[in-house]
Amino acid sequence: MALLGDVTEFLLLEAELADANAYDEWLALWDDPCTYWVPCNRDDYDPTKHVSIIYDDRARLEERCFRLTTGGAHSQEPQSKVCRMVGSIRVVDAQGADDTVEVTARVIMVELRLGRKSVYAARCHYTLWRSPSGFKLRRKKVMLLDADEPLGNMTFLI
Amino acid sequence: MAQYAELIQPGRVHSAVFTSEDIYEAELENIFYRYWMFVAHESEIPQPGDYCTKWIGQKQVIVSRAADGEIGVFFNRCRHRGAAVCMEEYGNASFFRCPYHGWTYNSSGDLVGVPYPSRYGDDFDKSSLGLAKVARVGSVAGFIFASMAEEGPTLAEHLGKAAGYLEDFVKASPLSTVSLSAGTSKSTFWGNWKFVGMDGYHTNFTHKTVLDLRQRKQGASYSRGAGNSDKSSNESWDLGNGHCRLDLTGKDKVAVGSASNTSIAANIPDTDDGREYMRLMTETYGDEAPEVIRRSRDVHIHVWPNLQLIGSQVRVIRSLAAGRTEVMSYPAMLDGVPDSINTERIRSFEWFSGVASFGTPDDTEVFERNQIGLQSDYIPWLVLGRGLTVAPQEDGSLVGNVTDEVPQRAQMQAWLRAMGPESAVDVAVRTEGEAK
Repeated sequence: MALLGDVTEFLLLEAELADANAYDEWLALWDDPCTYWVPCNRDDYDPTKHVSIIYDDRARLEERCFRLTTGGAHSQEPQSKVCRMVGSIRVVDAQGADDTVEVTARVIMVELRLGRKSVYAARCHYTLWRSPSGFKLRRKKVMLLDADEPLGNMTFLI
Repeated sequence: MAQYAELIQPGRVHSAVFTSEDIYEAELENIFYRYWMFVAHESEIPQPGDYCTKWIGQKQVIVSRAADGEIGVFFNRCRHRGAAVCMEEYGNASFFRCPYHGWTYNSSGDLVGVPYPSRYGDDFDKSSLGLAKVARVGSVAGFIFASMAEEGPTLAEHLGKAAGYLEDFVKASPLSTVSLSAGTSKSTFWGNWKFVGMDGYHTNFTHKTVLDLRQRKQGASYSRGAGNSDKSSNESWDLGNGHCRLDLTGKDKVAVGSASNTSIAANIPDTDDGREYMRLMTETYGDEAPEVIRRSRDVHIHVWPNLQLIGSQVRVIRSLAAGRTEVMSYPAMLDGVPDSINTERIRSFEWFSGVASFGTPDDTEVFERNQIGLQSDYIPWLVLGRGLTVAPQEDGSLVGNVTDEVPQRAQMQAWLRAMGPESAVDVAVRTEGEAK
């Protein structure tokens, strides 16, 4: 249970930083290299052959956070206000390859921007690396319930 | 009341064109249900029996490849009591069976099965009760268009000079064919569909962060924003019939490892696969290969009214209300190239396009702010006067500086013709100096 507690703490921290649009602190949670994947249309496919909503490697994730902090990202000016719940957290493999932990969770996000409130739900899969200084996000996959629906502005941290 | 011609004037346009629900309804009838609309690409239904469902305005259609390979476009409505007969976006089927009373249609849309037929009279004629067909269907370079008007300009007449750019687009493949096989990036925004146009003036402002990202990557060698100013040699084109484009690649030198200067075209990577791609292209197109690639990598065209080809993407625009639009985008995969070339196209697509990308969300944000701003119509005019004095070329095209509003005026003129300049519309147009 100690592991589940540590994992939960980490996922809640990640959610809190994302809600706060704390791009640099959020980026600091990620490993290098890493993969941030939000599939499009369906949950599983070969991302080298199918388009994704987000398929960031470390370099593109840094671009994403740079873009949101450099000024002029109109789609986040004003920023989204986001309040998310992370639940149903399960450690599905405590002894993953290369000293990692495989975790699944459900996330409900309520996003408010310019008077419009949107609700998103997702199943998430995380690969956490046990670094000497604590967990690092090696991979995060966000399977949106709406992956195959026309979506609006999704430039907040999902 | 006003006439449409009062709303579209030289160099200015009335905001009601974008905000009136009456005009939205009239657009459905005069444009979406009459003009040649892009509906699907042949690669979405490659095999006999393949189908996909699409929307033309508020009407859902089935685009189907029959057993004999013929492509038909049918309204998704059972001829009995009107239920939609197909709810899948893509599939392969020998039959479409209505869930209500079991009426069954084949992939040519013919009614082939009616349960308990003995209760119909002798004059019951199944052959007249096939799925209703969209009147005219045609295709160019695999792009399937459909028109609900039984008469009118042919597809070739409507496309005019735009057809050549559809051909150019697919020539990025050494087989001269592309496939929309990599899925669909689906989006909506709270603004009018006509904001999705061809604008070379917004780039350095709306896409400030794209310039920032390029500068971050390229450092001092980056000539920031140079392709998108009044001093640029890039161009804006009016091709006639509302079709328009930006020329952002005219000065590109095409070689392995060199990116396009000012467009969002995918790079040809400096890898074995990149070199193999160049070899395959040279095998097909000979010495013309670099020019074929230059012309194909970002045709950057709006095929009026609802299709755009930008970089590697096929973009389809649908109006849902005066202030609501749906955009479906497909990264087009090149047939006959190494896998990594197409992966690069997908990654490059995701960089700029899609709801969480670094480009189009800022466009969409501006469209939504347009819709907010245009409600304040005390002075209702939008100014579209950049490059107003550009003279026509010999073939009738207008070519301006990339920042000119040549494309916007081209689309507004096509729109005016479609709506009927003399037709009446419920908009109050005050004369200059008068209060509203």
